[in-house]
Amino acid sequence: MMDVFANIGLGLSVAATFQNLAYCMLGTLLGTIVGVLPGIGPVTTVAMLLPISFTLEPTSALIMMAGIYYGAQYGGSTTAILINIPGEPSSVVTSLDGYQMARQGRAGPALGIAALGSFFAGCVATFVIAFGAPPLAKLALQFGPAEYFSLMLCGLVAAIVLARGSVIKAIAMVVLGLIFGLAGSDVNSGIRRFTFGFQGLADGIEFVALSMAIYGVSEVAINLEKKDEEVGVVSTVGSVWPSFADIRYCMPSILRGTALGSVLGVLPGGGALLAAFSAYTLEKKVAKHPRRFGEGDIRGVAAPESANNAGAQTSFIPMLTLGIPSNPTMALMIGALMVHGITPGPRVLIDRPDLFWGVVASMWIGNLMLVVLNLPMVGIWVRLLRMPYRMMFPAIVGFCCVGTYTINGNVTDIAVMAFFTIFGYLCLKLDCEPAPLILGFVLGPMMEENLRRALLISRGDPTIFVNAPISLTFLVAAALLLLIVAAPAIRARREEALAE
Amino acid sequence: MKFGSILRAVITAPALCLLAGAALAQQAYPSKPVRLVLPYSPGGIIDYVGRTMAQYLTGPLGQPVIAENRPGAGGITGTDTVARSAPDGYNLVLMDPAIVINPTLQPSMPYDLFKQLATVSIISTSPEVVVVSPELPVKTLADLIAYGKANPGKLNFASAGIGTTPHLAGELFKQRTGIDATHVPYKSIGQSYPDMMSNKVQFAFSSIAGALPFTTDNRVRPIATSGLTRSPVYPDAPTVDEAGLKGFEVDLWLGIFAPTGTPADVVEKLNGAIKVALKDPELIKAFAKVGVEPRGTSAKDGEAFLKAEFGKWKKVIEDGNIKDQ
Amino acid sequence: MHIRAPKDFWSGLMFLAFAAVTLVTSSGYSMGRGGRMGPGYFPTLLGAVLVLLGLILVVRSLATEGEAIQRIEMRPLSILTLCVILFGVMIQPLGLVIALTVTTFIAAFAGPDVRLKEAALLSTGLTLIATIIFVFALRLPLPIWPNL
Repeated sequence: MMDVFANIGLGLSVAATFQNLAYCMLGTLLGTIVGVLPGIGPVTTVAMLLPISFTLEPTSALIMMAGIYYGAQYGGSTTAILINIPGEPSSVVTSLDGYQMARQGRAGPALGIAALGSFFAGCVATFVIAFGAPPLAKLALQFGPAEYFSLMLCGLVAAIVLARGSVIKAIAMVVLGLIFGLAGSDVNSGIRRFTFGFQGLADGIEFVALSMAIYGVSEVAINLEKKDEEVGVVSTVGSVWPSFADIRYCMPSILRGTALGSVLGVLPGGGALLAAFSAYTLEKKVAKHPRRFGEGDIRGVAAPESANNAGAQTSFIPMLTLGIPSNPTMALMIGALMVHGITPGPRVLIDRPDLFWGVVASMWIGNLMLVVLNLPMVGIWVRLLRMPYRMMFPAIVGFCCVGTYTINGNVTDIAVMAFFTIFGYLCLKLDCEPAPLILGFVLGPMMEENLRRALLISRGDPTIFVNAPISLTFLVAAALLLLIVAAPAIRARREEALAE
Repeated sequence: MKFGSILRAVITAPALCLLAGAALAQQAYPSKPVRLVLPYSPGGIIDYVGRTMAQYLTGPLGQPVIAENRPGAGGITGTDTVARSAPDGYNLVLMDPAIVINPTLQPSMPYDLFKQLATVSIISTSPEVVVVSPELPVKTLADLIAYGKANPGKLNFASAGIGTTPHLAGELFKQRTGIDATHVPYKSIGQSYPDMMSNKVQFAFSSIAGALPFTTDNRVRPIATSGLTRSPVYPDAPTVDEAGLKGFEVDLWLGIFAPTGTPADVVEKLNGAIKVALKDPELIKAFAKVGVEPRGTSAKDGEAFLKAEFGKWKKVIEDGNIKDQ
Repeated sequence: MHIRAPKDFWSGLMFLAFAAVTLVTSSGYSMGRGGRMGPGYFPTLLGAVLVLLGLILVVRSLATEGEAIQRIEMRPLSILTLCVILFGVMIQPLGLVIALTVTTFIAAFAGPDVRLKEAALLSTGLTLIATIIFVFALRLPLPIWPNL
């Protein structure tokens, strides 16, 4: 126990040097900016800074890159709340209630609680890394293809809970999302599926094109149909800060979100995303009045924001302790470390404790910087919402186009965007919610990949999914969750039938 | 119409600039920055070697070389942009063996490799390392072959996807030894290591950069390297050739290519600059960190090498029925 | 036959349409056998599930009452979709400045009240900001001017 404090002390002494503080500041600032901007994400930013990082001290380089990574997670929630455009998959959930709050003139409290929740989660996650890195790293190693498949299945069932309306429609949207996710080269056979001959679809449908179309352009089309007074124009901006009552109200949600995020973040691949989705689902299940969710419940912002920030933080555990990249940004960081002659893995803790603990401590400092940087910004963002909608929507459309194009410099992505604009419009008109579709879209390829890999390794024996205890646990959880979702729907139907 | 004339002005002004630029291009090559396309996402070997190369080429060439990631479709998208661009020496692409594997493996290609692209130089060479799960009772390559023969149907080998060098190296290994092993593809070789540590997959032909984090503390066991000479990164591991499979060689080479029709003197100038850059001790050090050694062939030798590699992998793909899987 | 829940009915049809495309397309991919699941297996399975869900929605919409679909206005949707397509057509040959100015200017016509001067000013301003941010500050490889 004393060791941990000695280690944190060492970390703070490394992270608090003038140079490292400056790089931490630069990283979080850049991260926030690219998180807000569409089209340019943490991967591109870290890649652009890679050559510069070779000339830096490895600890400073990693501190800066880490700052970009969690700063971007954070910046992504700003656009999700203000204009309903989630820049990162994990902020899709934030937009559900965040944007509704903004429409009701409560953008300030939404942004504020996102900042505070993230900060709290960041602090806790820093301690989780400090105390739990070695055992949590072992947990990540327990996950083989079978376990991943069952986890994803569980996540998809959770997606159904996200929807407000019909359960059948939500399931259908998940399935459709899974199908869209399959487009592109198949990992297991190398065959290109659903590309319809387009070279630009060889790597699948671009997430940004899909989300910008559905959440950006289609939403604008729907808004323009409404009468002026109901649209975008936020009549009362209200208080900029969340009140103490808000904070007290959200505290349990923040705690639950943080706990979920810290655990799920450790799993390589989609940890932060699953964390945000499951945190929202959990809130909806424990809430006394779940109907408020999706209509601007502040807990619907607090929980997923805490979860994805905690998850972003703990996703450093497999990278630093096992050398396993959980996502492309982590892969870049591993590359940067190797260039410095440091091979990420269990030995980093022993050979370079200054690096490991320095980075961990810098994350806590970075989170503090994020709050200091962002809380004053909330006022400015909220003022932006006062702009009349007739001036705002062409800007949204323009930024969606440029943002999508810059991802790959590929015109096919723009064509995809046009297709999904019409599709998204139809979905909104038909009350088919896009959030389950997005989750299916992101998890689908990973799910199929792990399913086929598990069966390949077991030589086609499906009992592999129930023989592994972790996998079995997730399958049982998924079944239970499905039962809970279906139960009220079945009951309602029966009552309806009886009434007739 | 007023708007029309403004539009015309807006379009023609830069056009005039471009014409002026074309006149400038008559001057000695290179008169403007050179673009080096890297057809993979940032973070991999190509990205690292490409950015390093761009940095060290700038000096000998006398103009900045700008590395640009154009990922997509297993390198095809980025290669295609260069294959279609002007053959003026300002558009180059850095590619790995996928450039000769793709034409055999893919049902359709947007460009014709040997008609549209010319080799400037094969700039580097790097062996793959054979790694095995620590839970496997295998200490040498001979052990692995013996184990595979004694336990048919038990072995799995990991790769970075269908048609990647780790996959084809594994197929070549199967063809040479006659052992049976199931191919388990991953999105990148790095993702396969957790499954290898827990013995879900048993072995892989991995890039050195991918293997290093796991071999330094023996979480997976390096038993051989795939070059004809030993790798300085794993001096104790014999080559596959030494271990008994005579002539077995898999090279993760990287080459720089230009559109066909690039003037011979421009190619020569580039080739010379590449050779100078590859001799820089700082560059050699930077390459060594990821297990890559500089090579620097002439354009002619490079072209011959490319044709040989094309034939070699075509045979492996056809013998292993890889397209039909 | 009387459609009682139009929203459910039409969404059911939409799902059935996507399911049909999925099933037809994936019939061209191998289903695999035994342990080796082919590339066609998973999409076919999903397509079949989607058919089932679509049918449930359609059948149910004939049996139980549901909401009517709100009026569909073609103007905003078609203008906005046109903008996106125009941007895609223009960006590579004409560059960011022209593509973005035209796109945002036309987008303004999707709204109920168009003010020409304001729209022109807005599109010019946006293009200026976007060019500064994306091209000069972030140095993304975007063409600025027409590529002749």
